[in-house]
Amino acid sequence: MLEHDHDAVIRSATERTATERTATERTATERAADHAALARSMDELVPTLIAKLGTTGLAELEVREDSLRIRLRRPADAPITDDRRAADRATDRAHRTDRSRGAPGGSPSIHQPGMTPVGPGPGPGPGREPRDSREVRTSGDGHGAIATSPAVGIYHPGPAARAGTRVRAGDRLGTVDMLGVPQEVVAPTDGVVGTSLAEGGDAVEYGQELVAIEFATTATTAAATTAPSATPPDVNTGP
Amino acid sequence: MFRKILIANRGEIALRILRACRVLGIEAVVAYSEADRDSLAVQLADEAICIGPADAKRSYLSAPAVISAAMITGSDAIHPGYGFLSEDDGFAEVVAAHGLTFIGPPAAVLERFASKAGTRELFAGHGLPTIPGSEGMLRDEMHALGEAERIGYPVLIKPSAGGGGKGMRMVRTPRELEGVLRVCRSEAKAAFGDDSLYLEKWLDENRHVEIQVVVDKYGHGVHLGERDCSVQRRHQKIIEEAPTPALPPSSRVELAERAIKAAVAAGYENLGTLEFLVDASGAFYFIEINCRIQVEHPVTEMLTGIDLVALQIRIAAGEPLGLTQADIPQRGHAIEFRINAEDALHDFRPGAGTIERYNAPGGPGVRFDSHAYAGYEVPPYYDSLLGKLVVWGPTREAAIARGRAALDELVIEGVVTNTPIHRALLASKPFLEGHFTTNLLDRIGSAAFLAGEERAS
Repeated sequence: MLEHDHDAVIRSATERTATERTATERTATERAADHAALARSMDELVPTLIAKLGTTGLAELEVREDSLRIRLRRPADAPITDDRRAADRATDRAHRTDRSRGAPGGSPSIHQPGMTPVGPGPGPGPGREPRDSREVRTSGDGHGAIATSPAVGIYHPGPAARAGTRVRAGDRLGTVDMLGVPQEVVAPTDGVVGTSLAEGGDAVEYGQELVAIEFATTATTAAATTAPSATPPDVNTGP
Repeated sequence: MFRKILIANRGEIALRILRACRVLGIEAVVAYSEADRDSLAVQLADEAICIGPADAKRSYLSAPAVISAAMITGSDAIHPGYGFLSEDDGFAEVVAAHGLTFIGPPAAVLERFASKAGTRELFAGHGLPTIPGSEGMLRDEMHALGEAERIGYPVLIKPSAGGGGKGMRMVRTPRELEGVLRVCRSEAKAAFGDDSLYLEKWLDENRHVEIQVVVDKYGHGVHLGERDCSVQRRHQKIIEEAPTPALPPSSRVELAERAIKAAVAAGYENLGTLEFLVDASGAFYFIEINCRIQVEHPVTEMLTGIDLVALQIRIAAGEPLGLTQADIPQRGHAIEFRINAEDALHDFRPGAGTIERYNAPGGPGVRFDSHAYAGYEVPPYYDSLLGKLVVWGPTREAAIARGRAALDELVIEGVVTNTPIHRALLASKPFLEGHFTTNLLDRIGSAAFLAGEERAS
């Protein structure tokens, strides 16, 4: 019997994340602080946790910090390698945010270094776990990242792949058709679509560079992390 | 003939197929996983295309990725090598459905020989003796115990879809059988996606002798003699040689002739190998057929002078064999040593890392098929075969002498290899006298074997 090994479609981080808020009495200031923390967690902690979940093979991961509790559960049939690929992007994004923010821990944050080393890393170890090295590639000038092909096949850019489009990490930029099965090309980072490195209809190989994404400006990121009101509207921060 | 072939494999066999393509004037595209980006086959290929990540399930074992790569590179055939998708009839069928040629037996032929138990019955019907075994697949524990009783202990539990020793266990008592049946089932399920098991009578002292056959699309077939693969460790071959020291010339010819006759009669097509067990009395029993190019094919190439991979490609392209049995010489003696990245001193633990120093042996009658080079990083994701040292000599003694010299010349540093076991084997009485049996190494234990060699030298 032939088992078709089609790539699973990569879902965005928000779809596979369940956040929970414990019920407590809160003041308006506390609520604002909580919202800011949640917004940050969506940007930093959650992607990092997804990365860890992806590399460990664990089914569930839970982190508690004061009144906040975050639990991630892997879909029952999700292939680990796909998680890992999304995870690599997410980790890179988290690191980048750290750099742009300056020294970590400067503001009240639930992103603690002590939380990150969960399970073995993605590198080749004695366990002979295959690694997906299609990590985020930064563009030549270091101000962006490159969306790469998830499969070998024919590239079909979508509307979001047009230069100038504002995208968030995980947004669909197009597809690569592998024997009639579309595999999603996703933005590796938040930012603005720049140069296209392949044309629609091009035959592309796995891991081939397709679309350059310029990082969102540092000012925007800083605003989002300091002012709770600047939370991007497309992030669901509700309990 | 094909214009462009996609090589859907890695390591030394990708390189071997690439070389055959060169000789035939066919363009070669090497399909590779991310872990093999720096492989020699990728560097030497006319074209190379990355088909997926290191995980073989998403690259070398992914039928859609391999076929998609063949389509977009304009290849007209796919060579699957050995392992991976090489004997997958479903894959062969999808390849054909996309207007491409699968280099190997057509899907219908692969399907006919897919079940080991079914194949045994088929060949028994065409005059090959088979090892006494269970009637069909084992239904449950009661059935297994009953069949084992009928056959007589010891018995070997084998997965129908198997290969490479996975899911295989020898048991000597009903209690042992009960104990491991479930383990074998889950191993078989995990390794092959099929948990069908059957039983075979276990021959305590046996040799593994296999016959290389080739049959064209028009039902014309020849055999290319035998290979003796009795030096094994846990059902994995370490050394292969031809001719077999186990049988006199008349028996060898008889075995080969019966094998090719049965293969043709059963409708086999393309290159294939019929494996037999030979007991102490010289009686032989058919065990299975391998519907692919085999790791040890160079042994036959050294004796016959025939490029088996090129022949395989020509047959797949629909060319007539163009050979009769009389055209196939069997000259001298050849021995192949599998050089694996394994630590012989530590239970053959697989190794990985970067090859720091490298020297391939040479000289008359010495061939080294390897994808290794100085600076090559051996990835940890795949099998541990680093290369095949094949030596030829006019006599077995001459071949052994060349083997010793070549093993001394071989330098692979930075990655552990199993060369100590080869040196020990070449110094051991059972090998030198040609009395090696398939379970000898496991019975003595590799560590004890190596220690014995140290005392002797």
